[in-house]
Amino acid sequence: MAAHRLRIHCPHCGVRAVEEFAYGEIPATPDALTDVDARDVDRAFMHSNHEGPVSERWFHTFGCRRWFTVRRDARTNEMLPLPE
Amino acid sequence: MRVVERLNGTRIVAMPAAINTATWPKGALAFRLAPDEVLVTTTVAASVVDDAHAIVERETGFSAAWVDNAEAMDFLERECDWELPRERPAFAQGMVAGLPLKLWFEQDRVLMVVASPYAADLAERLR
Amino acid sequence: MNEFVERAIDLRWPAAIKPAYDVVIIGGGGHGLATAYYLATRHGITNVAVLERSYIGGGNSGRNTTIIRANYGIPEAVRFYQRSVDLYAHLEQETDRALMHKTKGLLWIAHSEAGIRQERARAAVNTACGATTEYVDPAAIGEICPQIDLTGGGVWPVYGASYHPAGSTARHDRVVWAYAEGAMRLGVDVFQRTGVIGLRMERGRVTGVETSQGPIAAGVVLSAVGGHVTTIASMVGLRLPIRTHPLQAFVTNRYAQAFHPIVASSGLGGYASQTAKGEMLIGAEIDRAPSYAYDSGYPFLQHCAFRMMTLLPFLRDLRVLRQWTGVCDMSTDYSPVMGLTGVDGFLVTTGWGTWGFKAIPAGGEQLAALIATGRTPDLIAPFSLDRFARDRTMADRGSAGTH
Repeated sequence: MAAHRLRIHCPHCGVRAVEEFAYGEIPATPDALTDVDARDVDRAFMHSNHEGPVSERWFHTFGCRRWFTVRRDARTNEMLPLPE
Repeated sequence: MRVVERLNGTRIVAMPAAINTATWPKGALAFRLAPDEVLVTTTVAASVVDDAHAIVERETGFSAAWVDNAEAMDFLERECDWELPRERPAFAQGMVAGLPLKLWFEQDRVLMVVASPYAADLAERLR
Repeated sequence: MNEFVERAIDLRWPAAIKPAYDVVIIGGGGHGLATAYYLATRHGITNVAVLERSYIGGGNSGRNTTIIRANYGIPEAVRFYQRSVDLYAHLEQETDRALMHKTKGLLWIAHSEAGIRQERARAAVNTACGATTEYVDPAAIGEICPQIDLTGGGVWPVYGASYHPAGSTARHDRVVWAYAEGAMRLGVDVFQRTGVIGLRMERGRVTGVETSQGPIAAGVVLSAVGGHVTTIASMVGLRLPIRTHPLQAFVTNRYAQAFHPIVASSGLGGYASQTAKGEMLIGAEIDRAPSYAYDSGYPFLQHCAFRMMTLLPFLRDLRVLRQWTGVCDMSTDYSPVMGLTGVDGFLVTTGWGTWGFKAIPAGGEQLAALIATGRTPDLIAPFSLDRFARDRTMADRGSAGTH
């Protein structure tokens, strides 16, 4: 798979270099663990770090100054359509 | 060095539909900064948008300079790595020469708008 | 024959994969091969396979900036990395390979009062834990490295630094080859172009791996991969405190003078040293967004070069020769994760973030001891995966953000 130079698709302003944006993390959603203590540890320390498509928040510092969600393939940095 | 002048405008944050249907004073330009935000290049009354919860504030935090087409395109070709709009008139914003620039394209000239703390940097880069 | 012209490496590639091994190590980088080497040389365990999906040393072992140091911020880390510094110091003798190991001394510059406090604390903790580091003033910095602009271009003034005389570099791929050669000579099987696509589990215990070349049974499986450990661990339902971020670095053309030390600055988010060829090698902090892609970009060069030039003005006269990217497994507390995982038969050595190369000898030695004895050595016990659940994190961001 060819690597794409990471460019973010801002829904208001268009496609821009990653340097225009602040990264807003992947919202923490611990797996459905039955043990409450384990769930806290998971939320505090563990990461899905998925080697594939991820949904994450970005903030367009150099443009509209809004938060939005994008879907990106972490293997290639390719922008993907958001799920319905 | 080019003069980048303070822009006496109005910033409006309102429901997108209210911004879509508003009419601005004659001769004023309106830059859609975000779906729910617009920067108007003159002073306007709060009643201009049909949204009771709209925020309408005098905005003097931006500075701007008109640049003729040839010079603007030469500058943007060197300093901008994203695709510029082709239609006229058009608004676009993003990083140009390391600055957060807002661009208003007309047939024969371009208005370059920047937050005032960067005005001197823009003037220097335009030379 | 000298240190630059070496005799050919004697890598004894195995003919075929055996159906079973006592130990299967996933990842033929420095950590995996060093573990195999110490298993063979220290514990007589040679029924070992190392599986590399590409070529040995082609991942982060070949993408790092080759810095060796022990000047970390917490006692557990200082002791561990000091062990690595000691092993590196004798590795050329032990492996009979010219590794171009060179002791240079490392300056870690402070540009603020907070920076001064941090570097003073570093010097105190290091020295107390057996890794000599002293706090030095700007005059002494000028003596150690006359090229530094002590005014920091008027923007990043140099107020002081911690000086770590043991700071050194070595040729990274020669380290990988030396460990591979030593392990293979004693009968360890190393397979290239052999990727792992699954882990076999029986009654809650990992009993082997599925590879692109077929299944292999294993007494113990160690993941020593860089950049893909989350994917390997997920094969047994294990979640890790790891995020994988790109890190970029570049070298310039040759600088005609000698630049002796390694110079690092947390304030500038970068560090510089001179390669044996005379190039200036400059690295920086990780990219913010996690990614597995080896992207390199111009904005990074611009940002990093601009900042480093304030400290080292001579860089202005040099040109960028090449630029590359590695992917770093950053742990939540900026310390490595080594040892048992809670899944029987499955061990990890990961969380090597931006500090993996310097840890190769000690990491390999300690993991080998754990595999051979079944007991976690005291030196790496603080870095076990269960520290997060036990609320015993090894927070050391101030030592690990760069180099």
